[in-house]
Amino acid sequence: MITLVTGGTKCGKSSYAEKVLEGFEGEKYYVATMNPTGDDAKEIIARHLEMRRDKDFVTVECLRDIGNADVPEGCAVLIECMGNLCANEMFIGPNVHKPAEKIVEGIRRLSERTAELVIVTNEVGCDGISYSADTKAYISQLSEINCKIAEFADNVVECVYGIPVVRKGSSVC
Amino acid sequence: MKMIIGGAYQGKIRFACNWLDMDRADMINGSTCDFEEAFSAEVIKSYHRLIARLLAVGVDPVEFTKKLCEQNKNAVIIMDETGCGIVPIEKSDRIRREVTGRCGCIIAGASDTVVRVICGIPTYLKGAPNED
Repeated sequence: MITLVTGGTKCGKSSYAEKVLEGFEGEKYYVATMNPTGDDAKEIIARHLEMRRDKDFVTVECLRDIGNADVPEGCAVLIECMGNLCANEMFIGPNVHKPAEKIVEGIRRLSERTAELVIVTNEVGCDGISYSADTKAYISQLSEINCKIAEFADNVVECVYGIPVVRKGSSVC
Repeated sequence: MKMIIGGAYQGKIRFACNWLDMDRADMINGSTCDFEEAFSAEVIKSYHRLIARLLAVGVDPVEFTKKLCEQNKNAVIIMDETGCGIVPIEKSDRIRREVTGRCGCIIAGASDTVVRVICGIPTYLKGAPNED
């Protein structure tokens, strides 16, 4: 089963994603995509570690090449989050890449190895601000990734101020 | 408690006036009201602005919102959705946006009815139109 969880900042996506896997009996892996540099990143990572305490997740980092994430066959995987993964793949040194296709393929390959795959992503296109070309490209790439994953995901859920709104399939919790 | 959310200028206030059979003059405005008024107001509009103002004077909006939900259980809170964009460059903007998300989750959790208005059209995310 593949579940895509989307929504704005601090709208309960992580809590919902963890809930999806609450009843899973096998091994659970948390694939962290955030580059752990900067104060904000440290704060976020600390908060998410605290949230996952006692929830039996094995945490692995995967900043790029999500298709090769180091997780065993048949486990449950929670990826958090697509916004960071996209940025990591996109802005490497001075170059700006278009990673949508690579990331979507990676997710597809990963999903073949996992019993449950929950992907946390972000809605970034609704603030009405006109950004630089690179940022516009980022919004476009991430939105493309979201649309393409949604095509083959079983469930797509948008979290709105903590309320799960089903966009495809069903809400499993 | 009731909550009305949506982007800016989507018709939240007009919807609220029809739904609650009231006038916009009877709402307090998060952009201008006294903080204490929130604990007894029937309807607060622009609650996201109140959050920004609380932050500006060093009051924790999360604690304020929890207290509001405990003390003003019949309030109607109207606020924008602000989190669906690019992470802002300014730290204060990032904090405001994140805190707005957290406060929104608290209010939604405490509300029987949560309505999202887009293009003037209400969608009930929690509860149903005629529930009181």
